[in-house]
Amino acid sequence: MLCGIDVGGTHTDAVLIGPEGIVACAKLRTNHDDLLASVREALSSIVAVAGPRAITRLNLSTTLSTNAIIEGTADPVGMLVSGGPGIDPEAYRLGDHYFVLPGAIDHRGRETAPLDMAAVDAAVAACRAAGLSVHAAVTKFSTRHPEQELALRDRLAGASEFVSLGHSFSGRLGFGRRIATAYCNSAVWRLYNRFCDAVEQSVAELGLSPDIINVLKADGGTMPLGVSRGLPVQSILSGPAASVMGIIAVCDIAEDSVILDIGGTTTDIAVFAAGAPLVENEGIAIAGRPTLVRALRTRSIGVGGDSAITVDREAVRVGPRRLGPPMALGGPAPTLVDALNIQNVIALGDPRASFRGLAAAGEAVGMEPDEVADAAIISAVNHIRSEVAAFVREINDRPVYTIFELLEGRRVAPSRVYVMGGPALALSGLLQDAFSEKVVVPESFAVANAIGAALARPTFSVELFADTAAGRLTIPSLGLSRAVADNYSPAAAEGEAASKLREYLESLGADLTETPVETVELSSFPMVEGQTQVGHNIRVACQVRPGVLAAYKKAVSQSC
Amino acid sequence: MLKAKNTLGIVFFPAFDWAISPTHPERQERLLYTQDQLREEGVFDIPGITELKPDLATAADVARTHFCFPDVASVTTTSHMISAGGAMRAARTVLDKEAKKAFALVRPPGHHAMKVVHGARGFCNINIEAVMVEWLRETYGPLRVAIVDTDCHHGDGTQDVYWNDPDTLFISLHQDGRTLYPGTGYPYEMGGPGALGKTVNIPLPPGTSDEGFLFAVREVVLPLLAEFKPDLVINSAGQDNHFSDPITDMAFSAQGYARLTELLGADIAVLEGGYAIQGALPYVNLGLVLSMAGLDYSHVREPNFDPEAIRQPAKVTAYIEEVCRDILALTRNPKPPKGETAHGWFSRRKTLYYDTDAITEYQTESVRLCDHCRGVVKYETESTRNPLCLGVEAPIGACEKCVEEAYRIYEAGQIKGEYRHLQLIDRVGKHYASYTG
Ligand SMILES: [Zn+2]
Ligand SMILES: [Zn+2]
Ligand SMILES: [Zn+2]
Repeated sequence: MLCGIDVGGTHTDAVLIGPEGIVACAKLRTNHDDLLASVREALSSIVAVAGPRAITRLNLSTTLSTNAIIEGTADPVGMLVSGGPGIDPEAYRLGDHYFVLPGAIDHRGRETAPLDMAAVDAAVAACRAAGLSVHAAVTKFSTRHPEQELALRDRLAGASEFVSLGHSFSGRLGFGRRIATAYCNSAVWRLYNRFCDAVEQSVAELGLSPDIINVLKADGGTMPLGVSRGLPVQSILSGPAASVMGIIAVCDIAEDSVILDIGGTTTDIAVFAAGAPLVENEGIAIAGRPTLVRALRTRSIGVGGDSAITVDREAVRVGPRRLGPPMALGGPAPTLVDALNIQNVIALGDPRASFRGLAAAGEAVGMEPDEVADAAIISAVNHIRSEVAAFVREINDRPVYTIFELLEGRRVAPSRVYVMGGPALALSGLLQDAFSEKVVVPESFAVANAIGAALARPTFSVELFADTAAGRLTIPSLGLSRAVADNYSPAAAEGEAASKLREYLESLGADLTETPVETVELSSFPMVEGQTQVGHNIRVACQVRPGVLAAYKKAVSQSC
Repeated sequence: MLKAKNTLGIVFFPAFDWAISPTHPERQERLLYTQDQLREEGVFDIPGITELKPDLATAADVARTHFCFPDVASVTTTSHMISAGGAMRAARTVLDKEAKKAFALVRPPGHHAMKVVHGARGFCNINIEAVMVEWLRETYGPLRVAIVDTDCHHGDGTQDVYWNDPDTLFISLHQDGRTLYPGTGYPYEMGGPGALGKTVNIPLPPGTSDEGFLFAVREVVLPLLAEFKPDLVINSAGQDNHFSDPITDMAFSAQGYARLTELLGADIAVLEGGYAIQGALPYVNLGLVLSMAGLDYSHVREPNFDPEAIRQPAKVTAYIEEVCRDILALTRNPKPPKGETAHGWFSRRKTLYYDTDAITEYQTESVRLCDHCRGVVKYETESTRNPLCLGVEAPIGACEKCVEEAYRIYEAGQIKGEYRHLQLIDRVGKHYASYTG
């Protein structure tokens, strides 16, 4: 049976799912000082119900790496960076040990200036003097020509416990993103690996012997724990992804739809096209820095159950600040939940405290408490609705590069809004008034995230770049680079990208029938010198889209 | 972290599925490496820089600006409509204050397309800047517009569209017409009788490098802009002055282009030519983008760039200084255009060759000399593709008499029956009509 654990900001949720449905579940408060303790506790409560033999697969989502990056508790990293012409690499400086080295590669992957090895050695020596043990090497256009990054790794051999190479994360372009990705990956490497060691130890101590342990990624897919040890950055921001995967698991979503996860501090919005979540191909931002970490396309807005209500002559507003829990639970300021509380939409804690807070807020402008509450609820609902509309508009406005896409570009037109999270049920009626789409609250929305974690299947993507004029091909995320003949065709490239991706998935132990490979990009440009065609510039991207294991989906899904 | 000092909208539309022919200089590969460079540099991740999707121009947008014979659909493809729509999207961004500046990185280009269109000239079918400007004027009201064409080729199409328009200052810097297509753009070409001095041509000798271009911009372009006081400055940003461009003979660099862009301070830039697709465009376009956004561009240079190797000779410098002096003097005391005046109309005859489509056109352009407005303009045109056709325009701000006159000419033309296709542009009543005899 499949076990999913989602270590969230407030709660740690766990479920065990068998062919017949949910066998056990647990919900406990997350221990922020010791995330491992939360995992262990969640696991023990599942084991207590189902026994240690029941768990054949364990999928885990954790905020560990995210927290370390945001809180700045990760390791210092020795950054070796080579830029060449363009934006000054200083613009992407990260950390106190950032070395810009002479050397350049152009857009076709040709080395236009060699690495200055004397400067490299000086940088390595400076890192050693600073006592650094983890490093990252990033060069511009390394996805087209990884050799300079590989040379930097060789130079660091013996001086580093771990080196992140920019090209290993994605074949997509983005020098600044590559720097941030490699930096974060090395920064959390030690911490993350210690956590992995501890998870494996706890699993053994509890007598479990799952076939595989996977970690959730921000794109809603999984990767094996062993693989994640070298790519810890891919485990960041997997929380919202787990919720979205949960909705996919428990509902049969076939059409264009919107998912709203209304939490304490924020509402997360995700959009589905024809039942599949949209992926942010460029990559997600961590601590304000864009990276190459693929993620589900989501937007977070500062409206949640605990968002504070402010009243002035112009308007009653909800959020974006959270000053504490609702007044009904002893908080300092009235919140959206307090407003719902006095309107009898929910019953929480001490309703008189909610009433006092809203009365005080309305007094200055002469509003009755129930007027304030009504206005706050309407304001929150309208805010959510307008953000959803803006998000969908933005998705439909995304740039395209061919006439075909511009004219045929499929527009996303959601017909349903799925709502989950604490205040979901309470707000559903009001949301239905605000949205013209059908508003649906799935039954098991409370532990959907853990279900999502349990059922998520592996994802991976490869980008292949071939330049037949130069006679070269690279698949950066698989570390693959080889010579190609001048008659190499787009069809051959597509076949090669897909088969290399399948081979990789098989090596991870993935069931290929559950992980369909699809081509998301295929283009080929004639390259001309003078009046003569000298070759083709071929680009292919293949992926396994995020999804849930079909065999188990039946067991947990319900009509909604 | 970087942050744009000037917010900038970029419309990037490489039309990856369109080309004139596989090996034509104006082909898909033109913007491929630029896209790679901009993506790799993370340009679209810089706060304040936004990538925008182009609008799609309509036949009505084209018919407001051009007389297309026999009609718009026959002389355009979807790529032209997207290219013009891309320019419109860029302009809309600035006028709606979504961003301070905008850059339309689109293809195909447009600055060789004239008022009357029978086909493609110099890879251009419709004038995307003109379609953009006239859409702006229709949508946002009258605007004084300066168009500075920094493409290596003379912007003869834009010059022709605005020849009689005193509210549009058109300045073209280009390689001397005696040495390059289209062979026009001399200082004595200064505009029609009602717009004299509003067309300014600065022909530069082959081999002009950064020094010469920047000199002409400082000494001629900036003072003229300051005098004209435009509401909007548009840069027809052709990049074929680059030292490595295969179809021209100039010696401009990416640094020079970025500096020129900074000096010019255009609100909107629209990509025109530029055919050194590997060694120049990625760097020049990056330089332009950074410069427009007010960001540091000092590290943008071509691989193995050696400014000494392409520096202009002293005699080129001396020649440019002289040309610029003459042009400034001429703008203070402009020479009237060549042509004939009869019955209150000024006419000039043109023979035009459409090199891309191998069409020859014979045209008479006549403008009514009116004391109250710019005057009706009439085009009688025939070509190796179309028999005699008529185009009549009552321009923006035309007086009542001139509007009446436009309709009279259009209707009389239909009755007389000597024209195959007739088209009317009435910018006053926003009425656009066509008739096939
Ligand atoms: Zn020019
Ligand atoms: Zn040109
Ligand atoms: Zn008049």
